[in-house]
Amino acid sequence: MKPTRPELPREFVAVHKRRRMIDAMAALCADQGYEATKIADIVRRAGVARKTLYDNFDGKEDLFLAAFDATVTEAMQAVESACEDTGGAWPQRIESGMAAFLRFVAEHPAAARMCLVEAMSATPAASARYDGALRQFVELLKQNTPAEADLPGTIEETLVGGVAWILNQQIRRGETERAADLLSELSEFVLSPYQHVADQQFGTARRK
Amino acid sequence: MERLPRGRHGLSPEFVARNQRERLIAGLTAVLYEVGYQRTTVSLIGQRASVSKSDFYKHFESKDDCFYAAYDVAIDRIRERVNSACAKHEAAEWGPRVRDGIVALLTLLEAEPPLAKLALVEGLRAGRGIYDRYQAAVESFVPPLQAGAPEAPGGGPVPEATGEAVVGGIASLLGRRVLAGDTEHLRELRPDVLRFALTPYLGAAEAGRIISAG
Repeated sequence: MKPTRPELPREFVAVHKRRRMIDAMAALCADQGYEATKIADIVRRAGVARKTLYDNFDGKEDLFLAAFDATVTEAMQAVESACEDTGGAWPQRIESGMAAFLRFVAEHPAAARMCLVEAMSATPAASARYDGALRQFVELLKQNTPAEADLPGTIEETLVGGVAWILNQQIRRGETERAADLLSELSEFVLSPYQHVADQQFGTARRK
Repeated sequence: MERLPRGRHGLSPEFVARNQRERLIAGLTAVLYEVGYQRTTVSLIGQRASVSKSDFYKHFESKDDCFYAAYDVAIDRIRERVNSACAKHEAAEWGPRVRDGIVALLTLLEAEPPLAKLALVEGLRAGRGIYDRYQAAVESFVPPLQAGAPEAPGGGPVPEATGEAVVGGIASLLGRRVLAGDTEHLRELRPDVLRFALTPYLGAAEAGRIISAG
């Protein structure tokens, strides 16, 4: 019998190729920025035919947006399940959500740069996507903060914007892998507006 | 901006040059507000400023070059306005000083939508060079915020990242509002922005007191 590779299901191959193109987009964006990244670079790096790219995506921007969405979905899932798994009170949920988010960033440096640095300015559609992702995290934070805090309606929006900015800075400094070092500072920052509620509920003068 | 009289006006070449440059910067700010970065062209800027295309290139190498200059002018103006509002207080009065700085910021941006759009929205959309400027501009507000800041409400220093996160969070909120076309309501965000900025440093009760005292 001729020694051939076992044939992989067509669907598996297609998903895998799509994934490779998405990863290639993230990696190239991280290296050289969105603007300088060309279709030719992407297909070379992903090891797919140019036609395959155009069968899957309308073009460079469409691929970027797909890569952005895939990353945000994964990050969101990681954060959501960390919040749920904790089973603790809201401050613990927020802290584990933050820990999961920072871990995700540290473990996916290229994708993190694509979403937290490049997307802000890549194209108008990308910045709209960035805005939508911020909104998702704002909603998630709202679900986990105490309603009795009596704070302005925008508080979660500014907190999420602040955290995104800190990570943007961390990534631009080339310290993405050390994102988890920010855990205690960022948790304290995000929890600070609700501290008076924590004091009432848990009788703690300070969280730590 | 008024154009200069034609012909023999007896104005020095330096004065004319400076005036043209200022008009071009104002022209870019106005055109950008109306049509966005992509559709802003050297011709449109020149038309708005009543400066010929060849004179444009005496002052700037390109649209981007003019954009950078306009951006720097915009940020200087904002910083100056914020600083002078803060300067009315002694350094010891951290809360009221920061409060008045933030109120001055909101007031200026609400009064000048083209300035707000240039500084907070277009600064992110025009490529690397301008993105670096946006970044530096946001960062430049961190030291004045941190200067003379009190200890955290529960004791100990406020974490280092807090100042950056506060400034970045405010820029993000205001940028999103400006992008959504809500610039004329920015001052309504006064209690929100103040609560966000002051609470990590002062705690909820003291922050509330300073917000209602202003």
